Amino acid sequence: MKYAMLVLKNLTRSKRRTILTVLSIAVSLFIFSALVSMPAVVNQFLADSASTTRVACHNKAGVTYGIPEAYKQRVVATPHVAAATAQSWFGGIYHEVSDQFPNMSVDPEMIGQMWPDWDISPQALHEFQRVRTGALVGHETMKRFGFHVGQQIMLRGTLYPFNVTLDIVGTLGGKAPPSFLIFRRDYLEEVRGRPGFVDVIWIKVDNSADVPQVEAAIDEGFANSSAETLTEPEAAFYGGFLAGYRVFFQIAELLGIVVIFTIGLVAANTAAMSIRERRTEIAVLRSIGFPARTILLMLLAESLIIALVGGLLGCGAAYLLLRIVPVEGIVGAIEIPTSVLFAALGVAALIGLLSAIVPATAAARRNIVDVIRAVA
Amino acid sequence: MDATYAVDLESVWRIYRRDEFEVRALDNVTMKIASGRFVAIMGPSGSGKTTLLNLIAGIDHPTSGRVAVGGEEITAMKERELARWRARHIGLVFQFYNLIPVLTAFENVELPLLLTPLNKQQRREHVEAALRVVGLADRMDHYPRQLSGGQEQRVAIARAIVTDPTIVVADEPTGDLDAASAEDILNLLRELNRRFSKTVVMVTHDARAERHVDEIFRLEKGVLIGSETGQGAIEARAANVAST
Repeated sequence: MKYAMLVLKNLTRSKRRTILTVLSIAVSLFIFSALVSMPAVVNQFLADSASTTRVACHNKAGVTYGIPEAYKQRVVATPHVAAATAQSWFGGIYHEVSDQFPNMSVDPEMIGQMWPDWDISPQALHEFQRVRTGALVGHETMKRFGFHVGQQIMLRGTLYPFNVTLDIVGTLGGKAPPSFLIFRRDYLEEVRGRPGFVDVIWIKVDNSADVPQVEAAIDEGFANSSAETLTEPEAAFYGGFLAGYRVFFQIAELLGIVVIFTIGLVAANTAAMSIRERRTEIAVLRSIGFPARTILLMLLAESLIIALVGGLLGCGAAYLLLRIVPVEGIVGAIEIPTSVLFAALGVAALIGLLSAIVPATAAARRNIVDVIRAVA
Repeated sequence: MDATYAVDLESVWRIYRRDEFEVRALDNVTMKIASGRFVAIMGPSGSGKTTLLNLIAGIDHPTSGRVAVGGEEITAMKERELARWRARHIGLVFQFYNLIPVLTAFENVELPLLLTPLNKQQRREHVEAALRVVGLADRMDHYPRQLSGGQEQRVAIARAIVTDPTIVVADEPTGDLDAASAEDILNLLRELNRRFSKTVVMVTHDARAERHVDEIFRLEKGVLIGSETGQGAIEARAANVAST
């Protein structure tokens, strides 16, 4: 602590340089946090939302091809199947094109057993099963548009040439994707003229150990049919949708690393300049009797403080901004996970240490006589 | 090596290599400085004065020979040990003051005390005492940029004496000062020597120094060509005789 005074005073030596260095690190860590959060949020969503006993059965050629509604009876009859619910995607928009959020229709009878982790209240469930135009909405979408239970809303069709008018009867909570809206599939079927196809049949297996057996049994049952099925775990199903974005996530992570590397170089240059212009003072401290190690640690401490302050500012700003200005996606509002915040601060500390280690070591060990002679 | 001497150099050589050239900064120098003396090392530029001072201060190593300061041989000390030794035994004064610009006068003087086990209050007392000795107790909170050249050098001297070192080593302490300030500094160094019995070794070109010092060592091209009694010693002897 005795040397803390010296470290802090040196930080104020050139206030402009210190502030600019802190801000440049802050901006870089802001970008890094935001970029690296995207894959982290998606992975967290998959980990949180997916159940180990819920599987999705869809057309092997792709979800968009649909499977006959009639498959549901055979699925329900498969051993170890506790519940089955058909789902058809609607993909409507609320008001403007930018007001998109995931919305789909599901069979109302078994949603309580199918998604017990969605925290649907008994009353909401009852109303959903009672009201043909009933809808259950995730809390993020409720908040985003200021919906309330009892409100009637209209979703404009994008895939279908019609709109649907829905009555919000309850909310989705728990592990439900926070931006989802679900309404009754019988209502959608009636409006679209009962084509008899669904996108997905959700299946609740009674035991996670039986999942592979159930998947195999269902797919074997529909092999060589006009609509062969692929039955897969929920995490894999959602992961498949996001697979197309993986390359962007990888690019985002790579960009994050590039940003960090760049700011590391800038910080190293700034540290080298700052240490170089103090070489005489460092030589004087050594001549007074300050050990080289103490001087090295003080120089590293200066750099570490600058980097950590920048890191805190950058991460903090990214965290707060995403809370104040929500960025919505299929996984709900993008937030910076705590793990990313800690990782970013760790990166900031590394920047602080690595940028200064070489010039600080050289300065601390430089021959005192040579430095003082150079000035004289 | 004789422990009664503050500085004892024996057959010291210092050779530097500069590119393909070999520079003999010191050539077989043997000298002894008694404790409590105020000594000047003088000579033309390039004569090896500063090199000699650096060896005495322990910030350089001889190529060969032995160097003892305060009865302790420092020739073979490793850098870490030498740093500890310097912190305890040496007070350094530089030509260009070399104060830390972001620290106040108080904080600059306190620097050597950070290496001691003294607590904050004890350090404060030492610093205030040192600044009183150099006559700058009222400038404690001033930064170097707010002080004149002479005042900065006084602060540097305070920093050099605050740990009560065995020996004060000054390299051209008046080199960057006007005549009046230079005289003040020389008087201050002499006072440190007379009042506190501090051994002071000073490298200087300043002819005025001859009036203040007890002994003058002259160097030329790295060779110690002789020593003579300084006017300071003569005056001190005369004062002694008068008082008895």
